[in-house]
Amino acid sequence: MYAYTDFDRQFVRARAAQFRDQLERNLSGELGDDEFRPLRLQNGWYVQRHAPMLRIAVPYGELSARQLRQLAVIAREFDRGYGHFTTRQNLQFNWIPLPKAADVMDRLADVDMHGIQTSGNCIRNITSDALVGIAADEIVDARPYCEILRQWSTLHPEFAFLPRKFKIAVSGAKEDRAAIAWHDIGLQLLKNEAGVVGFKVLVGGGMGRTPVIGSVASEFVPWQQILVFIEAIVRVYNRYGRRDNLYKARIKILVKAEGQKFFDAVEAEFRHILQDDAEGGAHLIPQAEFDRVAAHFVRPAGVAPITTAVERAGEHTDQPIAYTRWLERNVHAHQVPGYRAVTLSLKRAGQAPGDATAEQMDAAAELSERFSHGELRVTHDQNLLLPWVKESELRLLWQAARDASFATPNIGFLTDMINCPGGDFCALANARSIPVAAAITERFDDLDTLYDIGDIDLHISGCINSCGHHHSGHIGILGVDKDGSEWYQVTLGGSDGSTISGTAIPGKVIGPSFAADEVPDVLEAVIDTYRRERQSGELFIDTVRRIGLPPFKTAADAQRRLTARAE
Amino acid sequence: MKFIDTHQDQWHLAGGEDGPIQQPAPRANLLLTLEQWHAVRAAWPAGLATGVIVPNTVDVETLARDLPRLALVVLQFPKWTDGRAYTQARLLRSRYRFRGEIRATGEVLVDMMQLLQRTGFDAVALRGDQKIESARRALGFFPGHYQGDVNQPQPVFSRDTGAEVAAHAAKLKHDAEAFAGQGI
Repeated sequence: MYAYTDFDRQFVRARAAQFRDQLERNLSGELGDDEFRPLRLQNGWYVQRHAPMLRIAVPYGELSARQLRQLAVIAREFDRGYGHFTTRQNLQFNWIPLPKAADVMDRLADVDMHGIQTSGNCIRNITSDALVGIAADEIVDARPYCEILRQWSTLHPEFAFLPRKFKIAVSGAKEDRAAIAWHDIGLQLLKNEAGVVGFKVLVGGGMGRTPVIGSVASEFVPWQQILVFIEAIVRVYNRYGRRDNLYKARIKILVKAEGQKFFDAVEAEFRHILQDDAEGGAHLIPQAEFDRVAAHFVRPAGVAPITTAVERAGEHTDQPIAYTRWLERNVHAHQVPGYRAVTLSLKRAGQAPGDATAEQMDAAAELSERFSHGELRVTHDQNLLLPWVKESELRLLWQAARDASFATPNIGFLTDMINCPGGDFCALANARSIPVAAAITERFDDLDTLYDIGDIDLHISGCINSCGHHHSGHIGILGVDKDGSEWYQVTLGGSDGSTISGTAIPGKVIGPSFAADEVPDVLEAVIDTYRRERQSGELFIDTVRRIGLPPFKTAADAQRRLTARAE
Repeated sequence: MKFIDTHQDQWHLAGGEDGPIQQPAPRANLLLTLEQWHAVRAAWPAGLATGVIVPNTVDVETLARDLPRLALVVLQFPKWTDGRAYTQARLLRSRYRFRGEIRATGEVLVDMMQLLQRTGFDAVALRGDQKIESARRALGFFPGHYQGDVNQPQPVFSRDTGAEVAAHAAKLKHDAEAFAGQGI
C-alpha cells in the first residue's frame, strides 16, 4: 500500500485545519450556510435527511487494518455505530453532528485519511478494480498511476469548481471490473506492440438522467503524458461545459453535443500545454517518480509463489457444502501462485447492502491482520476483500469469516446487489432502496435458488442520480416519485463492461413503474422467465440479449396490481 | 495578493451619465469593457496604462495580441462557484505570459484565495462582506501543493518537499506561540 510521506501527512493535517477554520466561521455566522456548502462538500460533508453525511475517501479502494479500526472508532464515538461502503470504494457515515465535523477530520488525518473531493463539482476520488495489483488477468498494476493521479487531482486550483462532478476510473486488467466506460474519464492501461505502457482514454461516460457510454479520446497515451492529457480534457470541459442547466452539465453532454470538435479541442489543448506553456512539460511523469510511487505497491514481505501442493477447492469430498460454495463464490484467482483473494460479503439478511457495524469493521481488520498482511480492499460492488490470502489458510479464514458474518457465499449472485442508501438516508432520493433490497433478499433467501439463477447484476438506485448504478445492472431498479409516493422502474440488459456482462450499455425500461410491494413479485417473475427460457449454460444476461424484453415484460406486467394504469 | 479597496481604486470605468461610453477618449488608468477596447484599440495610444474587463465566457486567446498593451485584466466571478476564470487566468499567465495585474471581481470570497493565487491572480476585490484577515489566513494553510501552478510550476515530485515541510512546521509553531502570547 501507499505510505504517506511527511508532505502527504502535513497536507492532510493542513486540510483538516483549513476545514476547521471554515467550520468555525460558519458556526460563528461569518460564513453563510449557502457559501459553506460547496466547501464542506469538497471535504465530504453533505447535509442529509437526519444529519450530515460524511463520505471518506478510500483511494482506489485500498484500506489498511489500522485505518479500518479508526473508522470503527469514529463509527462508535461520533456516529451510531455503523458505516456504509459505496460503489466508488468510499465509506459513508450518516449520523455525525456537523459541529463535530472538524474533530472527525483530525481523527481521519491521524490515520492518513480524509474526505477531500469525495463530493462537489471537482475531480472525485479515483477508483479502480478491487483486484488491482493481484488480479490473475492483470496487464499492468494500476495503483502507482492511481496514486500519481490522486496527488495531481488533489486540490487542483484550476479544477475545483467545474460545471459538475468529475469521476475517473482506472483498470489495468484484461477484464474491466471498474466500469470505466461509465466514468467521465475511463482509463484502460495496456501495453502497445513495442511493450510500452500507456492508456486507452475514454471520455464522457456517465449515468444519471442521460446514461452515456464513454467515447475513445485516445487509443494510446504513453504513461508519462497521462496527467497532461487529462489536464487537457478537464480544461476543455471547464471552459465549455454547460453551466446553465444542472442536468446538462456533465462532460458527457459536452462530448455528445460537440462530437469530433470536442476531441479536436482536447488534442489541440494537449499540444498547447506541451509546446506553448511556461514549464509545460512539468507534469510529464519522470521515471524516478514512477519508481518511487511504484515501490509502495510491491507485494507484502513474505508473499511469494507457493508451489507446494495444498488443498484446493473441491478436492476433498469431506468438505462441508457451505465451504465448497464459499470457495466457489467468495474466493478469486490470484496472480501469485498459492494465493487467493477473498471477498468478505457485506450482503446478508438483516443489514443494508454495503453496511458494516463498528464491530464488523474491527472483525474485518482482525481478519486482514491474521490472513492478509493487514490489507483490505473496498470493492465496487460494496463488499470488502482480502487481497493476500494463502490457499493453505482458506479453511481457517472461512471459519473465522463465518463467525464474523462475512461468509455468505453469494458473491455475484442476485443478493450481492448494488444498492444506494436511498430515501431512508439520502436527501436527494425519490424513493427508498433499502427496504426493496431487504424484500428481495428475503424473497431469494434460498441458496440453491440463487445458485440455480447464477451470476447476475442487480443494481438499485433510489433516484435518477444513479448512485446504485441501475443503468448498468442486468436488472436495474430505479426509485421514482409519483404524486408523493414511491414507484420503481425496472430496466433489463444493462452492462458495466465486465466479461459476463459484455460491452457497457444501459439497460432498457420494461414499462411503467411498479409499486414498492410489487417489486419482489416482478423480480421473481422476471427470474422465472429466465429459468424457463434459458438454454444450457446461459446466464440471465445472455437470455435477455437472445430473446429480448417482451417475454420479461409480459411476465412483469402480470404482477401489476396497483399500477394497471396508463402513465 | 493585493486587496483592492474599490473606493480607493486608481482604475476608473469609462462611463458617462447614460452608462458606458462607446468610444472613450484616451486617458491613463481607464478600465474598459471588452466592447470598448475593441472599439478603440486600433487608435489607442501606446504607453497608456489600460485595463480591460473580460467576461468569463471569452476565450482569452482572442486577447493574446493585445496583452502587451494592457496593464490590467479584470476577470469575473458572476457566481463564486463558476470556475471558468481560473482557467482564463492560468492561460493568461502560463501560455500568453501576461505580466500585468490580473484582478478577480464579482462574487469573490475568502475561501477562493488559494485558488486565485495559484492560477495567477495577484489582486482581488473581495465582496463587501468578506474579511481581509480571514482571506490572508486562507492563504497560509498548506505547506505546498501536489500539482504545479502558475507561481510554482513544478509538481511535488520535482521539488524538495523536505524544506517545505520544515518551513510549514516552523510556521505552525510560530502561530501557536503567537496565539499563546495573547494570554488566552
